[in-house]
Amino acid sequence: MMLRAAALFLALAAPAAAQPRDTLTIGITQYPSTFHPNIENMAAKSYVLGFARRPLTAYGADWRLACLSCETLPSLENGGAVRETTPEGKPGIRVTYRLREGLRWGDGTPVSAEDLRFAWEAGREAATGFGPAEYYRSAYELIVEDPRTVTIRFDRVTFEYASAGDFQPLPAHVERARWRADPRAYRTRTAYDTETTNPALWNGPYRIAAVQPGASVTLERNASWSGAAPQFRRITIRTVENTPALEAQLLAGQVDMIAGELGLPLEQAIALERRTGTRFRITYRPGLIYEHLDVRHDHPALSDRRVRQALLLATDRAQITERLFAGRQPIADTSVNPLDPMHDADVRRWPFDLVRARALLDEAGWTPGPDGVRRNAAGERLSLEFMTTAGNRGREAVQQVLQGMWRQAGIEARIRNEPPRVLFAETLSRRRFQGLALFAWISAPESVPRSALHSDEIPREDRNWSGQNYGGYRNPEMDVLTHAIPEELDPARRREMWRRLQAIYAEDLPAIPLWFRADAHVWPQWLEGVRPTGHLNASTLWAEEWRAR
Amino acid sequence: MLLTRVLQIALTLAILSFCAFALIALMPGDPIEVAIAGDPRLTAEDAARLRALHGLDRPFPERYLAWATGLLQGEFGYSRLFAQPVAALLGPALLSTVALAGSALTIALALGIALGALSASRPRTAPAVDAIAVMGQAMPTFWLGILLIIAFAVTLGWLPAGGVAEAGAGLHYLVLPVATLAIAHLAAYARHSAASLEATLTEPWIRTARARGAPERIVLWRHAFPNAALPVLQIAALDAGALAGGALVTETVFARPGMGKLLYDAVMGNDTNLALVALLLVALVTMLATLAADLAQRALDPRLRER
Amino acid sequence: MTRLRLGLAILLLLALAAAAAPFVAGALGHDPFAPDLLVRFEPPSAAHPLGTDDLGRDILTRLLYGARVSLAVGLAAALAATVIGTAAGVFAAWRGGAADALVMRLADFMLALPALPLLVLLAAADPSRIGLPARGEATGDVLRIVVILALFGWIGVARLARAAALTTLSRDHVRAARALGATEARVLCRHVLPALLPPVAVATALAVAGAILAESTLSFLGLGISPPAPSWGNMLANAQELVFSAPWAAVWPGLAIMVTVAGCTLVADGLRGRRRGG
Repeated sequence: MMLRAAALFLALAAPAAAQPRDTLTIGITQYPSTFHPNIENMAAKSYVLGFARRPLTAYGADWRLACLSCETLPSLENGGAVRETTPEGKPGIRVTYRLREGLRWGDGTPVSAEDLRFAWEAGREAATGFGPAEYYRSAYELIVEDPRTVTIRFDRVTFEYASAGDFQPLPAHVERARWRADPRAYRTRTAYDTETTNPALWNGPYRIAAVQPGASVTLERNASWSGAAPQFRRITIRTVENTPALEAQLLAGQVDMIAGELGLPLEQAIALERRTGTRFRITYRPGLIYEHLDVRHDHPALSDRRVRQALLLATDRAQITERLFAGRQPIADTSVNPLDPMHDADVRRWPFDLVRARALLDEAGWTPGPDGVRRNAAGERLSLEFMTTAGNRGREAVQQVLQGMWRQAGIEARIRNEPPRVLFAETLSRRRFQGLALFAWISAPESVPRSALHSDEIPREDRNWSGQNYGGYRNPEMDVLTHAIPEELDPARRREMWRRLQAIYAEDLPAIPLWFRADAHVWPQWLEGVRPTGHLNASTLWAEEWRAR
Repeated sequence: MLLTRVLQIALTLAILSFCAFALIALMPGDPIEVAIAGDPRLTAEDAARLRALHGLDRPFPERYLAWATGLLQGEFGYSRLFAQPVAALLGPALLSTVALAGSALTIALALGIALGALSASRPRTAPAVDAIAVMGQAMPTFWLGILLIIAFAVTLGWLPAGGVAEAGAGLHYLVLPVATLAIAHLAAYARHSAASLEATLTEPWIRTARARGAPERIVLWRHAFPNAALPVLQIAALDAGALAGGALVTETVFARPGMGKLLYDAVMGNDTNLALVALLLVALVTMLATLAADLAQRALDPRLRER
Repeated sequence: MTRLRLGLAILLLLALAAAAAPFVAGALGHDPFAPDLLVRFEPPSAAHPLGTDDLGRDILTRLLYGARVSLAVGLAAALAATVIGTAAGVFAAWRGGAADALVMRLADFMLALPALPLLVLLAAADPSRIGLPARGEATGDVLRIVVILALFGWIGVARLARAAALTTLSRDHVRAARALGATEARVLCRHVLPALLPPVAVATALAVAGAILAESTLSFLGLGISPPAPSWGNMLANAQELVFSAPWAAVWPGLAIMVTVAGCTLVADGLRGRRRGG
């Protein structure tokens, strides 16, 4: 019965074979919730928009800042950036961007300084509802120098002054009237979401040609694009949230590649490679996603640095990455990635050493008890609550392995997991977790971990629970460093400060470092030119370099 | 009778809307906290600004009243999660779910009743029917779905492994998800129709009919079946209601957008507008299905009509 | 009758297996909770009769420990749903009128009540605050799942019971009994409840199976029994991620679920047969 039905429908199926290589179908695990570049940030949106619009600046695959739609990166040396004093007398900086020649929106209108001015005006207005607005609060004035040039004045000087972040041209000729009519309602009226396929919204090598909410986005070449010509005529991005189903679609030939940014869990990709041999090209790119254990610093046992060090010593991270992740995930010594220019290679390491872990625990007053779990002088057991995101099988597996390893050292871990939204929005941010929490931080190259380490960032009720120092770590020197590093413009002196930060981190263990997650990019053998970045700027920002063999 | 039921449905919906609103408001983490977890650059200042913009800083009863007033005026509101008007999202999702669940339920009912009748009228076939029913029922839907994908999409390559057609009806995209859902539901129908048919076939009036010389086929379908169909109808009504809320697991495994996925995302993503309208819609369908089943029961069972 | 015996035998065997879990673990010398990364995904062997899972744990012993959790979830949820549902259904049919409407509208209301936010709420609730076992320990998870399944499971039974009770109550022999002065309690116990047994027995048997399946679906959504406690549902849900490379890790828990469902159904069929005297 089933077979006959299948055969019947097979006849109706469009012939999918013999694909001409001018189309590419990509599978990702998330659907973008909005297409507006500045409202809500999510990886799926960054990935899709990477094809269709270009920000002013972005970090490349080499983790260095580069111009995408500006001509040259402004710097103090080339005069693009000038230090000055703000009208209020604070140290400030003015930064000048010149838009690349020939950059046009999909309807042929040139991308101009007016588009940047509109983006700035909309971002300055609180009612517009853009996501992070720190940039706009600091950028207090925008001066249009000529139709392609703007100068922005900031009331804060950081070493990242040249990075425009999310600030980018928005098509004023389409959007300004909608915004001006009612800034409060702009986020529900923006053409990005009401007429996503309008070519005038897009200035990248591709434009969005069709969307099926929740299912797929289709991109076609943007006729107005003046940069290098992209190879593929049409790119389809399909959303498949369940990763075994995504793998099935890859094996069935329905998708050509799986994006590493939002793709298969590493273990699944490793198993796929082992099974299919050379059918796909799989590239593993370690990135800036830092898997670690957040620690409650006011916990009676965990407040003792020796206990934290013992926990790390009792964790055989080398074995875990080797056995579970085929050695693809670099072990973390601190929250600074080894690929980061500011990484200190000589930082203290804590290789697996059970004997030392036991000795440290003895020293800290935790002696072996009758049931194998250590006890202190008061007879309390060394038993820690251990949380992670329920339903994330990779993390739950790691969690159970850690539980087993710590048992060898006489530490009991009581697993208690919660769905991500409960864990992040309630338990962590309201500091309701009791012991350890396994999760990841995602960051940008050379981003200063102030929000996770500064004592002002400990979430408190009177500060509306903001801040990400969930564990409650306090160290006066760390406070000074995380505050001073962003404002130090001299790279050599900054490097020295970074070295100090890492030294304190590795000694003090504000969080217990595990490893940096690696993305698995699955490509067909015929695809070339994709350069995974390993950070928030997706590989699609350079999609015009993608080629089919 | 019909009028009171309709009034009851309206009242239930009103109470339900309040309860659901309260439930969603009670869930830990408001939308802004969820956003902060995904974007480390959002500061305390940003959070306060966004909260005020989305009206989340107002007290709960005020928010409920504002929402309910809007709904009564036909304003479904705007989905924060999908950046679309709620009405624009519900239409396609409902259509996709009706196509999937409707055809699966029809197939399951037809096959299930046929199998049940076979088992009841020919006891020798009962073990085989039982075995089929057990197999279908014993497999968790996600597992069955993946097995079908492995067999028909990956190994044989006959059908797509999931997704929807970019253009056109895309019937071949429907085959595997419909089969998955139908197999999962078929067992209950077969089981219940067999059980109640067997029970009915021993009733005195059936024996009378047989004694009068009515052919077995007529006895089975004309006399016994209408009576035995009642419990099956009840189950089908429940299933129809449940499936109006979407077949979340099937939709996830086959990457099909639909009500289940929409509702799940809306609840998990704290998209109150979307979640509430979708929930009320599902509740309405559920209650209408129950009403329809009750009416059918009245029509089929003469004794109930007399009462 | 043989069906009943066969079904009972299967269920008894499963219960025995669950009870014997520690002994089997002892005999084989495996700790089903201790990961060993050196022996991941071993095929079946003398040491590991069913092989090992993604963390190198013995599948057989985990399956036996999982039986405890899964059977407990299934039985508790089904019994709770059946008792509540039968009582509500019979009450509605017997009292009729406003009581009937009230119960049935409550059922409608419960059906329409969104299960998902409730699940998330319960997952976030901390049962240790009201003296119950803390979350994360299997008992807490089991309790949460049973409450949810019973809360939504009684409705189907109630409808079934009400329909059957209505039919019985309108039968001539029941009317005659009432006319002859039989008490209402006697009518309910002698006439209505026995008539309910076939549909309710089927429903209960299916509810046990349904609860075990529902637990696996909840595990699939990440709202089920959390590790390290094994249940068939979370073993199956875990195995699906690597289904292409290690299919057997999913075969065993799937098979266990299937056997249990078969056992329950056979029992139901047997009960049905005995009522008919056949």
